[in-house]
Amino acid sequence: MRYLLLLLLSINLFAVDATLKIETDVEHRSRIALVDGSVVPNDKFFKILLSDLKISGHFLADTTRHKGDITSKFIEPALKSKEYVLKYAVSQTTGTKLSIRLLKASDGTQVFKKNYSIPTTSKMPFLAHKAISDINNVLKYPDISWINRYVVFSRYTTPRQSEILLADYTFNYQKVIIRGGLNLFPKWADKKQKSFYYTSYRDLLPTLYKINIYSGAKKKIASSEGMMVCSDVSKNGSKLLLTMAPNGQADIYELNLATNAKTRVTKFNGIDVNGEYVDDESRMVFVSNRLGYANIFKKSIHSSAVSQVVYHGRNNNAVDAHGNKIVYSSRESKNAFGSNTFNLYLTSSRGSGTRPLTTTGTNQFPRFSTDGSVIMYIKHRGSGSSIGYVNLTSQQSLLFPLGGRKIQSIDW
Amino acid sequence: MTVCSQIAPDLDGTGKNNVSDATQIAGDTITIDENRYGNENGAGGQYNSSSDGFQSIYFEFGDYGVSSGMENTIASNANVAHKASASKIKIEGNCDEFGTDEYNYALGLKRAKAVKDGIAAQGIDTSKMVIVSFGESNPVCSNPTDGCYSQNRRVDLRLAK
Repeated sequence: MRYLLLLLLSINLFAVDATLKIETDVEHRSRIALVDGSVVPNDKFFKILLSDLKISGHFLADTTRHKGDITSKFIEPALKSKEYVLKYAVSQTTGTKLSIRLLKASDGTQVFKKNYSIPTTSKMPFLAHKAISDINNVLKYPDISWINRYVVFSRYTTPRQSEILLADYTFNYQKVIIRGGLNLFPKWADKKQKSFYYTSYRDLLPTLYKINIYSGAKKKIASSEGMMVCSDVSKNGSKLLLTMAPNGQADIYELNLATNAKTRVTKFNGIDVNGEYVDDESRMVFVSNRLGYANIFKKSIHSSAVSQVVYHGRNNNAVDAHGNKIVYSSRESKNAFGSNTFNLYLTSSRGSGTRPLTTTGTNQFPRFSTDGSVIMYIKHRGSGSSIGYVNLTSQQSLLFPLGGRKIQSIDW
Repeated sequence: MTVCSQIAPDLDGTGKNNVSDATQIAGDTITIDENRYGNENGAGGQYNSSSDGFQSIYFEFGDYGVSSGMENTIASNANVAHKASASKIKIEGNCDEFGTDEYNYALGLKRAKAVKDGIAAQGIDTSKMVIVSFGESNPVCSNPTDGCYSQNRRVDLRLAK
């Protein structure tokens, strides 16, 4: 009981710290205004620019859309109190073209200028993301190139039917990559996001495939009775952590893609799933019901000792890891049926420094960005669902609405 | 954070940076329709309960043990399996919608394994049975009621074709 009280007190203190940090960090962000010089104003594009600036954690953006000539160095008197003015013009007559000029607000001096173009209109959000990440780099702020990445996700359509889609991080861009049949658990195979792994139910046994998103080339990787999930890919892409059940038991295996050798990592006679490489990839965290309920544990890939990582919650059934950082979803209500409160917590591979990241709704599917600085998740609240982001450094958070179909799994 | 105090570099406007370098997002990606190839259940995947004379086994919330009330159904399924000894039996584990991600699929798998073990205990060769978990992907009922959810916590059996 004493330890429980200590834990709850610690969690509460961290929550207070987070609130204070938000207030103090505001003073360190660059104040910036957006001036739209487009022939046909594009409200969606403006909102995406605002989202990019906010989630970066490095800018405090004026939410008013000002209009003005992009070629002029004139700065409205009302904007001279800002540090920067971003003038831009976007057009979608043939493909998408974007021109940007970053000016010093005080005197209109040009800091940065660039033109972008892509042959499609649907990928317009990516131009906004690229422009803001370029500006961020020019100003030498910590990297935010994760906003340029594709999100891959699966969602249910009808019973035993699903589809796998690509999206930008705001979900304004979405494209179906695989439709028809039951295809689940997409996981990026490489840093450049050319291919992803997914589980197909077309054959008698669940089968893991790797597909190239540009050519459509598919390669069968492995199959297993019971279930087959690619839970994690090593940094260099040479090893996978799989959940398989060749003997009817859900256990975690490491697959060496060079030798095709599989190493059985867990041997518990219950549920072991969701292996995620942690620390230097010689260890993993995973979800197991070995104490009678779903919780987060850690073990070495090549030895048998298992240690408990999380000591609160009665159902901690999803985890992701980056380096020694761990994020997990914890059920905090007891409704057998209906909605439950699931909150996300950040901790370390040693189980120290635990702090909550969300406080309301059902928050699940946590996934770290490639640099570990931001966490993506799905939030269900009332009848709606959203894709959420928490910037761990700046404490900034964002939510974007999702459609009604149920997300099955997600990766970025 | 002190990074914002850095002096922003001044770049000239001579057009050095005027490049269309968004090529990593310009490449067109594919779309595959797996229904073009058909699937083992037909394009719609419409059946959601047991077939070929088998009966579905139902489970309590979050549980994967076969209840005493389901033991007669296990025996009945073993009889059907005995008569169909030339064919392989597919045992499909299913869950309600209250789990997430991988864990729910593992729960469905434990249910399928429990039914497989129950039928094996009646003398059916385990090599004649194959188990697959469909997690929460294959509901037979989608109304938000307890009775509906309980129909989804089940194991279906059919002959593998």
